[in-house]
Amino acid sequence: MSAELAEVRDPETELEPTGDGKKAPREIVVRFNSVTKRFGAKVAVDNVSLRIKKGAIYGLIGPNGAGKTTSFSMMAGYLAPTQGDVEILGHAPTNVDGLRGRLGVLPQDALLPGADRVGEFLVHMARLQGMPKAKAEESARAALEEVEGKEWWMLRCSTLSHGMSKRVALAQALLGEPEVILLDEPTAGLDPKVAYEVRQIIKRRRGKTTVVISSHNLQELEEICTAAAVLDRGRLVASGAMSELTAASSEVRIEIQPPLGASSPYKGENLPLAAIQQVVGVSGAQYDEIAREILIAFERSKTDAETVIGASLWILLQERTRISSVGKGRGLEQRVMDLTE
Amino acid sequence: MSIATEVGLIAGRELRRNLRSIKGIILAVLALLGTGATTIVVDWIQKKIRQEMQAEHGLTADQLNEARKQILVKALGEDQGNYFASLPELLMAIFQVTVWLGPLLIALLCFDGLPSDVQHRGVRFWTLRAHRGSFYAGKAFGSWLTVSIVTLAMNVLVWVVAGARGSAPFGTCLSWGFRLWLYSLPISAAWCGLATLVSSLTRSPIVSLLITFASFFLLWFVGFAIAGVTDNEVLGYLYPNSYDRLLMSVKAGKMMTGLGLCAVYAVGTTLVGTWLFARRDV
Repeated sequence: MSAELAEVRDPETELEPTGDGKKAPREIVVRFNSVTKRFGAKVAVDNVSLRIKKGAIYGLIGPNGAGKTTSFSMMAGYLAPTQGDVEILGHAPTNVDGLRGRLGVLPQDALLPGADRVGEFLVHMARLQGMPKAKAEESARAALEEVEGKEWWMLRCSTLSHGMSKRVALAQALLGEPEVILLDEPTAGLDPKVAYEVRQIIKRRRGKTTVVISSHNLQELEEICTAAAVLDRGRLVASGAMSELTAASSEVRIEIQPPLGASSPYKGENLPLAAIQQVVGVSGAQYDEIAREILIAFERSKTDAETVIGASLWILLQERTRISSVGKGRGLEQRVMDLTE
Repeated sequence: MSIATEVGLIAGRELRRNLRSIKGIILAVLALLGTGATTIVVDWIQKKIRQEMQAEHGLTADQLNEARKQILVKALGEDQGNYFASLPELLMAIFQVTVWLGPLLIALLCFDGLPSDVQHRGVRFWTLRAHRGSFYAGKAFGSWLTVSIVTLAMNVLVWVVAGARGSAPFGTCLSWGFRLWLYSLPISAAWCGLATLVSSLTRSPIVSLLITFASFFLLWFVGFAIAGVTDNEVLGYLYPNSYDRLLMSVKAGKMMTGLGLCAVYAVGTTLVGTWLFARRDV
């Protein structure tokens, strides 16, 4: 196949700070090399390069038409890039033999085969992954149990509700514990309880399995992802660790309320902003009167968020400032809004 | 995992899917009812003709059989005529009906095998686990297996009806019936290959049904109607149903030519379809 790499390459490594001043190699398991995808004259993905490290839970973020689904589809091998190349575990995504059983995918809008029974479908999928019949059935039952659907084994796929279908599709992606799992909108259309359970399934794989999630649900991504890429109009506008994207490692937000009995909010000059700026590592402190929020920026090479929060709260409480909430960074939603405006 | 295992798993699933689907069950029931009814009608007509001929020419049944054998030898040659002499007329007539209606059954069974999976993106569950070519070939092979099983069931029904009505000894019905079913297999393989290729060119099952019918009609028109009118033997080879004469020949060379032509159709269309499918976005 033309899109396939001619030979299998060892997964490449990059040096990664380990926290103790040393650097250790960390595998890159998903790689986009200057990838472009055109549909006729329309450029859906424009020269995107990405590196996703082993064990990451990685979000693909962006508004409608940003190129998330197209990027996801190229990762899963559904679409071939017009230019550039995509590698999963050192293989082209269409290299079935190289990725068999190592890559699991939950496509967003693929219909399960209606006439198949759930168990039969999962066993068939597991057998195509190279498992013998007994192992395939065992694996299928385990995957179905993980999505809390073990009693659905004999149901026909056509009789499943949307949420049940989604979980069966998720079970097929989890079959055989693949090294990389790609999930397209894994909780879309699910009720909050089931969505929570799906998030727990994903979280349980943190550090063990590389999970790539394409989703519109930014709160969910912020909660479960360790890193993300933000796409806008086909271009990569930001990527990195979630704490970097949300500035959680360089910003602290403190929401405050007016003093008891006061109707108007604080004025900036009444707050001990100068004292906060004196805290070691803090590079700036501003008050947003509309949001009633103090935004504290700090240099992460000199301090960390927890130290800044502790010191700032101490100063504010001494002034009897009423504090509603404390947060690190701006929140992914705000960050994405800023990046994709 | 070998390609053969992939194809086998996908073909097996396709076979189960076809035989369990409402469409598959309805087609199988219609095919069996149609075959049963046709067998009874054809048998009745043939018996009536034989009785009239016997009465008209004052012949016994054995003399009529001998006359038929002489006609066959004169028309087809010594070896071929003798070979066909023991073939019950009823089975031959039903075989012709089966071969000629086969493309209709195949078009109706095969038209949505691939397009519906592509349209509803169910194919995405498979593309990670099986080569595109295996998926395509498995679908085509599974369709052929389905058609083969349905036509076997039709044949068994004919053997039973023919045997029960005394049209021929049961042993003769079984022996010739099985051979006739075997003759039909390469022809149906050619049609299945073609139907899978044509239907795979579109994502919409209804469009694929229409273009499958259109392409089959075109083949009939060029390879049978025009070839017959112009007496063009080469054009005749375009139409897979015309290979029955080759396949049923007692001459090994002719039979191998028939088999080869069916194989070219079945394998050629599958290779082309595989090549195209492997390059498509799904």
